[in-house]
Amino acid sequence: MISKDRSLMAHLLRRTGFGANPDELEAYLEKGYEKAVEEILHPSDPGNMPDDLIRRYHVEQSELRDLAGSAAYWMYRMISTRCPMEEKIALFWHGLFATGYAKLNQARSLLNQVDMFRKKGLGNYETLLLELSQDPAMIVWLDNNENHSDAINENYGRELLELFSMGIGNYSEDDIKECARAFTGWSLGNPEYMAVRASKDSIWPYGRIAWHFKYMEEDHDDGLKTFLGETGKFNGEDIISIIVKQESTANFIATRLFQFFGSDEVTDEGNEVIQSMVDTYFASGYEIRDMLWTLFNSDFFKSDNAMFSRVKNPVEMVVGAIRMAGNYQAPVLGIEQVSNTMLYMGQGLLQPPTVEGWHEGVEWIDSGSLVERINFAAKELSNVNSPGIRSIIERLEVMSGEGTLTPSDLTDQCLDLLGPIKVSDETRNVLVQYAELHGNLDLRGHKLGDQSEQQVGNMLRLVAATKEYQLA
Amino acid sequence: MSTSMSPSKIGLEYVKTIGIVNNGLNGRGFANPYSILVGKDGRIFVLNRCDPNRAAAIRIGICNIDDEYLGEFGKGSGSGDGQFVWAVCMAMDRSERIYITDEYNHRVTIYDSSGQYISHWGTYGAEKGQINGPAGIAIDSQDNLFLVDQHNSRVQKFSLDGNFIGAWGSFGSGPGEFNLPWGLATDKVGNVYVADWRNDRIQKFSNHGEFVAQFGSSGSGEGQFQRPTGLVIDADGYIYVADWGNERVQVLDSDGKLQIVLKGEATVSKWGEEYFASNPEEKIGRDNSDLVPELPDHLKTAYHISSQTEPYFWGPVGVALDFEGNLYVVETNRHRFQVYRRI
Repeated sequence: MISKDRSLMAHLLRRTGFGANPDELEAYLEKGYEKAVEEILHPSDPGNMPDDLIRRYHVEQSELRDLAGSAAYWMYRMISTRCPMEEKIALFWHGLFATGYAKLNQARSLLNQVDMFRKKGLGNYETLLLELSQDPAMIVWLDNNENHSDAINENYGRELLELFSMGIGNYSEDDIKECARAFTGWSLGNPEYMAVRASKDSIWPYGRIAWHFKYMEEDHDDGLKTFLGETGKFNGEDIISIIVKQESTANFIATRLFQFFGSDEVTDEGNEVIQSMVDTYFASGYEIRDMLWTLFNSDFFKSDNAMFSRVKNPVEMVVGAIRMAGNYQAPVLGIEQVSNTMLYMGQGLLQPPTVEGWHEGVEWIDSGSLVERINFAAKELSNVNSPGIRSIIERLEVMSGEGTLTPSDLTDQCLDLLGPIKVSDETRNVLVQYAELHGNLDLRGHKLGDQSEQQVGNMLRLVAATKEYQLA
Repeated sequence: MSTSMSPSKIGLEYVKTIGIVNNGLNGRGFANPYSILVGKDGRIFVLNRCDPNRAAAIRIGICNIDDEYLGEFGKGSGSGDGQFVWAVCMAMDRSERIYITDEYNHRVTIYDSSGQYISHWGTYGAEKGQINGPAGIAIDSQDNLFLVDQHNSRVQKFSLDGNFIGAWGSFGSGPGEFNLPWGLATDKVGNVYVADWRNDRIQKFSNHGEFVAQFGSSGSGEGQFQRPTGLVIDADGYIYVADWGNERVQVLDSDGKLQIVLKGEATVSKWGEEYFASNPEEKIGRDNSDLVPELPDHLKTAYHISSQTEPYFWGPVGVALDFEGNLYVVETNRHRFQVYRRI
């Protein structure tokens, strides 16, 4: 019988990261839940695979001239970080402030945006929106470099209100225009040259030139504007200050955070949590970290209703399996094939399909993606040469004591070590029946890759193929 | 424009840039070059590391100072004869044969300078004479071949056809110890210099591996290094170091005292001008641009500055000298090399 504490901690680590291997889970259990939440929400010292090592062996990840390698570069970080919350929050904002490579042809600048999400994503929402408005990848993505005092372009102004803060129905068309006016002049350096290079996908003569923000004062409309009932000579930062004060903004962000970190579906219970998060938003002065603290400490989050109530997105599937197996801890040839699997499952990093990002939840699952998901996880978790799987084998050996493990015990231990993962009686019965085909597991005197180890690998492979493994 | 620091007896004046990115499988231009050397007749050999999507294009390109692309050779990506996977560095012997290290295949491949494959040698392992991740390579005047054996944390000495002669080094940060070393060079009397990459320093040894001196420490200050990758020594004993992590080249005298710092000042190459002749809209945009802009504070590491400032070195990984003492600096991320005249 798995303890509630263990289940709860594993649940927290799935949501705030990519799941935990047994060692990581035990380390967090020692701290206790509240301390774990504090530590996770204040990441420091990620200790991820160093940039210099990656760039030495992967020239494509040094230059980031095109997509190849760019997703892998981020994936390396997700795999090796001690602070996966940084990567999850970056992934959250990457999905919400969806900015895609296809129009930009600028992986370096897009990854600079992701890095901004990593650094600022748990902080103040007003600051984050300001950083976003000055992010050159976003500026080009939503054409704010074409937003001029004598000819406004409403794209960024509209999406800022519709998709990044208040949500449709909470502002007027006039507000959009005034918002756009306020952001005139918020551009990038050498905008015409950069725009033509982006549109032509030009890499000549010497590869890409990464972008930087530049405020063009001469192109800014500094006239009076009326936005959401307030009037003034607003510039972009003033608009943002007004946006973040709105109840609709708080609701929008709280709901999206809840759906990503709490549960795919919002029930009445979920709505209560969202309201608490809204209250925290205002009480804290718009701090994302505090909102998440509210969520992770809510009764709902700690309840059975919240556990396994999200479908893992492809990034969580791939990175979670890799972290459990302990693979790819050093630069390796062919890493792009691994990062491409996320794309095949429907979630290519740096390639959100539209400005709305990805539709999460059960939409991740179709007959094609399900096969990819199962095959990938099964392959990672069944390789007995992988360090994480070897660690599981050693733990099973210790649990066996001087004897063997029955099929029932082997099943329960594997479910525990890979999660713990809660499965239905039906699923458990299938797993036990499979284990019974091979009898008791005898790891005494086991050697690398022998039959007893393969027995473990095959058991883990089967767990990866359960429907419950698809859930976070 | 010379960037020498006074007092100094050496000056370097920027001459030109040669290069353009080549996205395809052949032809003029470079694809993430990793090494450069200049033959006696002035032919310039550039080793294209290539990214995995273009691995079939792995080759050595040949050009000259007049921007003529003279040809290329290589047999693509793989482990077959003449093929490469992760090609790193080159050296040339007295017969102008070219020796290329491959840190994935753990071997040295030899071509002649007309591009004919000759042979390869090297076996993976940690025993003496075996290799794990060869990187820097140099040949002294006595036909001794020195090889950086990065994952074995040592330098090995071979004959030109791969017979083991000697080795020294172990993992660490003390004298004679290494941490993922990269480039290697010899001087005219046969001393051996190693770009001790992750120790952020240059180490100097005798021809037989006795430690002589070390230069530099971690940092971005003058005379400090951040992951030095390549180096070359001229006839006067000046040491030219590709200070990769700091996106610069530093020149030291034979005592290790800093003489010059170069940041790169690339101009449009002839091949680049040919591109712009066919793409006038880009040329117009470029002419109206400030290619050395003021940058926001949050992207001010050397790497980020160079990613946004096209004339600066970006990934200066290898350096070479021609027989007149002119300096060639090859940049992985900019697919070009910059030439400096010794003054």
